[in-house]
Amino acid sequence: MDWSLILGIIITIITAFTVGMFYGGISRKVTARIQNRVGPPIWQNFLDVLKLYSKESAIHHGWMQHLGPLWAITASTATLMFVPILNNGQFYENLNFSGDLIFLIYMMVLGQLGMALGAGQTGNPNSAIGVSRGLSQMVGYKVPWLLALVAIMIQFKVTSITGILELQNEIGWLMFASPFAFIAGLLAFIGMMHYAPFDIVFAPSELASGPPSEFGGKYLGLMMTSGAIFTFAKLVLFVDIFLGGASNILELLLKTFVIYMIPVLYGIVSPRYRTEQSIRYFWGWPTFFGVIGMLYAWYMIA
Amino acid sequence: MSEHIKEKETLEAITTAFEKVNGVVQRDKRIIVRTEAETIPGVLLYAKERLKYNHFSHMSCVDWIEDKQFELVYILWSPEDKIQLIIKCRINRENPIMQNIDNIWRQANTYEREIREMYGIEFEGLVGAKEFILEDWEDMPPMRRDFDTKEYSNDHFFDRPGREDAKDVRTEITERSGEEIPDFAKKYTRD
Amino acid sequence: MNINPKIDKKDSLTISEYIKNFARKHSLFVLAYGTGCGAIEIPPTMTSRYDAERFGIRGAATPRQADVLLITGYLATKTLKRVIRVYEQMQDPKYVIGFGSCTINGGMYWDSYNTINSLDKYIPVDVFINGCMPRPEAVISGFVKLQEYIQEGKADGWLKYQNNIEEYRANQKRVIKNWRMPDYNW
Ligand code: SF4
Repeated sequence: MDWSLILGIIITIITAFTVGMFYGGISRKVTARIQNRVGPPIWQNFLDVLKLYSKESAIHHGWMQHLGPLWAITASTATLMFVPILNNGQFYENLNFSGDLIFLIYMMVLGQLGMALGAGQTGNPNSAIGVSRGLSQMVGYKVPWLLALVAIMIQFKVTSITGILELQNEIGWLMFASPFAFIAGLLAFIGMMHYAPFDIVFAPSELASGPPSEFGGKYLGLMMTSGAIFTFAKLVLFVDIFLGGASNILELLLKTFVIYMIPVLYGIVSPRYRTEQSIRYFWGWPTFFGVIGMLYAWYMIA
Repeated sequence: MSEHIKEKETLEAITTAFEKVNGVVQRDKRIIVRTEAETIPGVLLYAKERLKYNHFSHMSCVDWIEDKQFELVYILWSPEDKIQLIIKCRINRENPIMQNIDNIWRQANTYEREIREMYGIEFEGLVGAKEFILEDWEDMPPMRRDFDTKEYSNDHFFDRPGREDAKDVRTEITERSGEEIPDFAKKYTRD
Repeated sequence: MNINPKIDKKDSLTISEYIKNFARKHSLFVLAYGTGCGAIEIPPTMTSRYDAERFGIRGAATPRQADVLLITGYLATKTLKRVIRVYEQMQDPKYVIGFGSCTINGGMYWDSYNTINSLDKYIPVDVFINGCMPRPEAVISGFVKLQEYIQEGKADGWLKYQNNIEEYRANQKRVIKNWRMPDYNW
């Protein structure tokens, strides 16, 4: 038994959880400051999760409802395992070499699917609306996201993330080597973070928080944990692909924080879209840039 | 404009078209018409179709317990002339039955259902004549004036002690302004 | 009918209880049941001027996620039914704040045929905030009081409700005559 593997998994998860939680707290603080409030302390999300885990949970709607949050957290930790945290293998390797971008694209959908199934069984109409909105929105932002990734795969003939990281050691950040794909990817990424104006899935005022509306106590705690881990995984993946990864933790935090602040700041000043507006947005400029990125890639290899 | 030409014309039109209708121009842009219960649909329809009072503002009920009567009040509004037309009729309090007017204005249905529940007036052929606002109500219709709401509250809800030092300020106020407390209100005292 | 708490009080808290109470105290998800006029004081309490979020108080969207049920004023017999359903759907531990004099003794609707007079006969109330209507400062001070109680382990209305369910049910059924309610497995 390889103990360092297990140690690596544990440390990776703890890092992801902590960073994701702190980022959530910082975003709440930033929102508060922009609204001229004092705001909660930045460790507020830890207290929330701790409290949620300390609650009793007596909700039963069927076994899929119990499995939904577990499925979500499994999917987000699994995604995390395949993303290299630092480049050149300086962090624990976990399962970095086993997967590639195409696999990750599937993996990132899995968590949402689990949530959708779990929320579907609660029988709450708000959950059902939230799920249908979430899946339609996913169809929206997956198009530019896939176009961006496929453009990179075509241009550099590489599908593994470690391969992309090594490539960037030689030619610099992909953000400059493949700028149109970067723009498309960034715009799609804003949607993936589910901050306003793309928070149509969890809209608290109109949908009563959507899919999690029947989940309280420990289930909600699990969902928050999974959300924090998944946020971190997504951020690191984005940094790995476009921003050349990071060679130490500080650099990683800096880069991920900058990327994280884009959707947060954009969200604070935006109202919420409707579902079809959101989809139309993603099929507009982001998809356009994605297509340009493909043409650019084709031009570069020709 | 103190002649109220338009108002007088309207009143004239109504009183000539129907018997047993009398009315006054109460003030600028307000006409009050009193009639019998049977002529109510006719007057309303006439006002709506001929005189262009096509906005049904409100419908309410007054309990004249001393006269053993209920008074139904229909308030119409003419967007063209900007005049309010108030039509009143009285019905017997013992066995209150009234004609239904929700085929003239659909929205009258809501008012009729509320009045049915709060005063116990039956409307003939009312759609949805069942429980409306009050849930599981078993007592007398609560807006009738012989319904004692304080007693009901004492019977059904839990009072918390501590209101004993509350005063009835109405005596002070009436003394100060030289008015009198009306008879029906005298039973609602704090002692 | 009197509701007597049948709970054996412990003198000191264990470490794990202390940590739990600390987290519970600093993270209150509030479900505002805003049918009374006092609900108008909730937006200023939550937004920039008074900013309740600095105490960790934040709105919850559904009863399942909420810790605190904030009842803002008078309750008609009809809304009481919904309040009971909401309260029973909440997850333990849960707290109730009665807001405004209407929840305490009926307020200005004390003799109304349709509004209940003392809320704590139907569901357990941990903190009352008096005033008609209380200002946001008073609301925040009520929350701070609740936080103190939670830290000391004294906010045990939910235990009271579980232990005295028959008496509470009897009181509730006195008002809600036609009892067609689902059972929640809390
Ligand atoms: S206490 Fe006063 S403000 Fe609050 S609900 Fe009652 S009447 Fe309204």
